[in-house]
Amino acid sequence: MATYMNMDQLRFLLYEVHGVEDVFQLPRYSNFDKESLEILLDSAKAWADQDWYPYFREMDEKPAYFKDGKVIIHPHVKKIFKDAGDNGWIGMYFDHEHGGMQAPHFIVNAINHIFESANNHMTGYMGLTAGSAHLITTFGKQELIDRFVPNMLNGKWAGTMCLTEPQAGSSLSDVKTMAYAQADGSYKIKGQKIFISGGDHDATSNFVHLVLARIEGAPAGTKGISLFVVPKFLPETEAFNDVITAGDFQKMGQRGYCTTHLVFGENDGCVGWLVGEANLGLKQMFQMMNGARIDVGMTATSTATAAYYASLQYAKERPQGRRIESNGRKNPNQEPALIIEHADVRRMLLKQKSIVEGALSLLLETAKHVDFALEGEGDQKKENHLLLELLTPMAKTFPSERGKEAIDNGLQVLGGYGFCTDFILQQYYRDIRIMSLYEGTTGIQSLDLLGRKITMENGQALQLLMARITETNQEASNYDELKPYVKQLEARLGDVQKVLGRLIPMAMAGDYESFLADATIFMEMASGIVVAYQWIKMATAAKKALVTGTGAFDTAFYESKIHTMKYYFKYELPKAIACLETLMNEEELTIVQEKQEVFG
Amino acid sequence: MKILVCISKTPDTTSKISFVNNGKEFNSEGIQYIMNPYDEWYALVRAVELKEKNGGSVTVINVGDVSSEIVIRKALAIGADEAIRVDVVPESSLQVAKEIAAHAAGYDLVLTGKETIDYNGAEVGAMLAELLDLPYVSFAFKLEKEGEDWLVSREVEGGTETLKVGGPIVLSAAKGMAEQRIPNMQGIMMAKKKPLNVVASIGAEKGSVVASHEMPPAKSGVKMIAPDDMDTLVKLLHEEAKVI
Repeated sequence: MATYMNMDQLRFLLYEVHGVEDVFQLPRYSNFDKESLEILLDSAKAWADQDWYPYFREMDEKPAYFKDGKVIIHPHVKKIFKDAGDNGWIGMYFDHEHGGMQAPHFIVNAINHIFESANNHMTGYMGLTAGSAHLITTFGKQELIDRFVPNMLNGKWAGTMCLTEPQAGSSLSDVKTMAYAQADGSYKIKGQKIFISGGDHDATSNFVHLVLARIEGAPAGTKGISLFVVPKFLPETEAFNDVITAGDFQKMGQRGYCTTHLVFGENDGCVGWLVGEANLGLKQMFQMMNGARIDVGMTATSTATAAYYASLQYAKERPQGRRIESNGRKNPNQEPALIIEHADVRRMLLKQKSIVEGALSLLLETAKHVDFALEGEGDQKKENHLLLELLTPMAKTFPSERGKEAIDNGLQVLGGYGFCTDFILQQYYRDIRIMSLYEGTTGIQSLDLLGRKITMENGQALQLLMARITETNQEASNYDELKPYVKQLEARLGDVQKVLGRLIPMAMAGDYESFLADATIFMEMASGIVVAYQWIKMATAAKKALVTGTGAFDTAFYESKIHTMKYYFKYELPKAIACLETLMNEEELTIVQEKQEVFG
Repeated sequence: MKILVCISKTPDTTSKISFVNNGKEFNSEGIQYIMNPYDEWYALVRAVELKEKNGGSVTVINVGDVSSEIVIRKALAIGADEAIRVDVVPESSLQVAKEIAAHAAGYDLVLTGKETIDYNGAEVGAMLAELLDLPYVSFAFKLEKEGEDWLVSREVEGGTETLKVGGPIVLSAAKGMAEQRIPNMQGIMMAKKKPLNVVASIGAEKGSVVASHEMPPAKSGVKMIAPDDMDTLVKLLHEEAKVI
């Protein structure tokens, strides 16, 4: 079987960089220890090898389709989903009282990395089911929990989240789906939702939709949106609940993961139940959305990871061309070199490695903040909450954007074969494209980062992150080999301060349009620097292992970590300087100016 | 029905193998250990299946230091009910068989994998049967209970044979005995609560010790031959690879 991820890389991050054992100290997770984690990781990998990866290409080649009002998906999805329910994988992080395993999010994310690297089409079905069930357990009444959650966690029913409408995509304040109060406390639901992932298929017997809708008479905008649970079939009677599937979107990637168009209440027969408080639906939904953003970041990371290993394998096997000798010529009588020996190919491989391993480190650190934000106490809880808020948009965007670039380079390694369907790179290239659109586009994430997260609580989150980076830099400075890179990182942090020194006064003066016009460039700069921080962390852990001899991996493993860090600092981090140039440039070229015709 | 399954830890099949101390010791730097697949996939899973079908209990036994506990926990996660770890680093098959024999009385069935994937000894099962004075069937790929007897199928030269064996037996399990069973989340979390009894070594004799290991010579590089150049291909297969 082809390599699609590397367990050593994952273990290095879990144990030697991010200290997974820390989360076992939290009372909620005291049932976990290194042994149980190791068995979990091995079991997840064995399952992914057996049932996930072998069907990855097939799910693309035999995509979901719509026929006679139903969506048909690859038959193996049904088996995986059922096994996931039977064996406790869907409810990993749920409370014991809800039938879950109370696994730390840190571990759930590590396991998701294994699954998603094996087959990125599958995890959405499980993740959305878990996410929507979690909304019910968090905000719903006990009656709703009892009616819906057990069959979602055991894999009999699937869950979805229904936000987008034809006229309301990134702008959810324009949601038009209506909810009409009934005498029995339920609501009649009427409206349309599009781009509903996993919204209907033949792998489960029912669907539990978490739907954003506006109660009749509710205020306009986001403050008038409520959250409802709307099943396709009523749990007690199995009667059809007037949720019609109008179609399945045919996509360029993730073709095994169906994306539906749903119509609620076409015949005035759709019933839903309010989850939590009226008019707080969007706020509640964002509990799930934040988790979903981390999930998307992990899916992007994992997709790019699998692509990296596919291109690496090819580079190790493909002979082509000859290395230049010291006389500046190539000897045609020599055996052709494997392409991994060519500098340009090595550069493309290192680019991928530095992006995917840097992104994975960022995602795992973010997931650790989730655990401490939920289960920590006092200042620790607050600090982790702030860091989580700040890192989430970057953890979603860096792998989604830079992962595309990584896979593009992976495809390039294969030359013309990369463009051919005989090889898998083209599938990864298509699959990852959605990640910068899912759960808030890169533009939305960037507005969130600059407009909300940087400035939240008087910039406290940013100060905390800076303090963590400084701490890591101090540790790294114990090793002479790492000192030059620490200096580079410090210089880039200074650049961030410079940029904020220019942008923040605009916000304070009320010129929000100028403040946010280049938020995406700021995202590119900031997330690139945060991943540089991850590389300093990894290189420090590697150096420490080499010096003390206490690491679990061999010398070559640690040396490759330090080498890849150096690559990132030479080739990738300088891109932050280009962003700095743009962000400090005072010309305003993208803001709408009156009487100006730019596009024609 | 009481079943005892002997399990050992072996390096993961993807490990880079090397030796230190003049070839006397295996170099464990960077090595990830797993449960020996023949012990896990075939012996243990079949034992759990038999327990699920006929009732009884499954005990796993390992001879090893504390680093073996990860594979023992995995065995408990797969479905064993309890575990015994004999606290000594094993150095020979005879030593392992004698240490296990000290705890193997009273079982209806004792299972081992057909061999370990590190040293491929395939000796412990036979030694154990001798020490326990029980019938031994090696390389079994099918095992069923029939009344008070066991029906065991095994591969023999050119075919298979099925044996009927009465009473307690020792058996080594080969491919086909069962399908790999992946531990589920519940099993993994329950494993922590199952008993793992650590017992002292009886100080069993080793019989033999390793004098040295030697790695096979490195494989030479791949030679690319043009598809239409059959003469060169035949020459190389004859003179260098020596396969024709």
